[in-house]
Amino acid sequence: MQVDLGGQVAVVTGGAGAIGRDIVRRLAENGALVVVADINLDGARELATQFAGAMACGIDIADAKSIRVGVAAVLARFGRIDILVNNAGINSFVHRVNIDAYPPEEWNRIIRIDLDGLFLMSGAVLQPMLGQGQGGRIVNIASVVGLAAMRLQSPFVAAKAGVIHLTRSMALELGPQGILTNAIAPGSIMSDGTRALFYASDGTFAARTAEFMRHVPLGRPGTPAEIAEAVLFLASPSASYINGQVIAVDGGWTAGYMI
Amino acid sequence: MRVDLRGVRIGFQGDVNPVADLTIVRMVANGASVMRGGTAAVPDILLCSLPLVPVEGIVVAPLEDVAAAAGDGMVARGSGRIIFLLSAAAAMPMRRHPQYSMQMAVMLTLMRTLAMRLAPRVLVNAVGVGAIGDPLVAGDAAMVGHASVGRPGTIEEVADTVLFLCGPANTYLTGQMLSVDGGWSAGYGRNF
Repeated sequence: MQVDLGGQVAVVTGGAGAIGRDIVRRLAENGALVVVADINLDGARELATQFAGAMACGIDIADAKSIRVGVAAVLARFGRIDILVNNAGINSFVHRVNIDAYPPEEWNRIIRIDLDGLFLMSGAVLQPMLGQGQGGRIVNIASVVGLAAMRLQSPFVAAKAGVIHLTRSMALELGPQGILTNAIAPGSIMSDGTRALFYASDGTFAARTAEFMRHVPLGRPGTPAEIAEAVLFLASPSASYINGQVIAVDGGWTAGYMI
Repeated sequence: MRVDLRGVRIGFQGDVNPVADLTIVRMVANGASVMRGGTAAVPDILLCSLPLVPVEGIVVAPLEDVAAAAGDGMVARGSGRIIFLLSAAAAMPMRRHPQYSMQMAVMLTLMRTLAMRLAPRVLVNAVGVGAIGDPLVAGDAAMVGHASVGRPGTIEEVADTVLFLCGPANTYLTGQMLSVDGGWSAGYGRNF
């Protein structure tokens, strides 16, 4: 897919991360001036050098001051923000326990980034975006677990469900100003971080993964590029009547009951 | 927006309407060709079009059979895509259009079950069409007042969404309906 984002300024949080890198690449390939916003400034800088006009920006979305400084730096450089991709997020790979045993401090850490951080970042970007008076696009990266709950990761499930409904709320509030808000709900996505969880040492699916993949019609994890393709569409001029929608890019996982 | 549909053969089934017409024009403009009726060959992409202006008494069963049969042919060949043009009312029933809403929901569920049955070689998705055109060629005028974008959509906006679903790089999306309705189905667009 090829679209014309010529000259639009796109901020991608978590832009140096596994999925973020592909989102940055696809937006830049289609003409956007991309801001790689990430808590990992070195990673953001390294990625930004690969794309003409791109900018690296160190932002911790859990920290309102960091967001304020970062957004001010973007505005100082480009003078505007047209597209915000709220991609930054975390989950815990350590605390896989029931809710009664879930450590409150870990609950707080995940909610603070995945839900509070998305709210804070959106608010900070909306002020200039609304002031520009030319509309804009917000794409929130949620998760299928926000649509269909899973066990042993209650804060992530709750935060992503929150992101999905917040997306709809933003769509209703901002649509009249021409700012369209939608969400992508990725299914299981293969990345360097999840590779070790999915695969056995011989490169085949681990037994647990094979069992899990029986529930996914396409029978495989997705790739970051497949998520980025949907983000690119929602950010494009062609998606100008899509608002408050959640696209599950999940290999059909949430289409129905497979077994 | 451009997607590479060179060499792709489109099959069309169902309701002929301005939205479906322009969608096919856009697909052809991106390199696809249209298979004419009467051929036994299985298309690469099947576009299944439902009536997009609410009307009672529609019968969807024939289209169910056609889509399922084409899907089986695609599975046998090893690839394919099916895209349904439905009303956004498939996921948000309208009081004044009960039978129409119900039939759309039937097609939405058919789409999802086909996505599971025909996977992994065949991808099946839908566009949920809201109030489109001025004068309207899809949807109901009542939708516009609750669409936060505050206007009816254009046929091009629907057609481009179909193009996205057809895109060669869009390979992990199946069993989904993407509504093009300006936010109508997202919630209550008015202040109370």
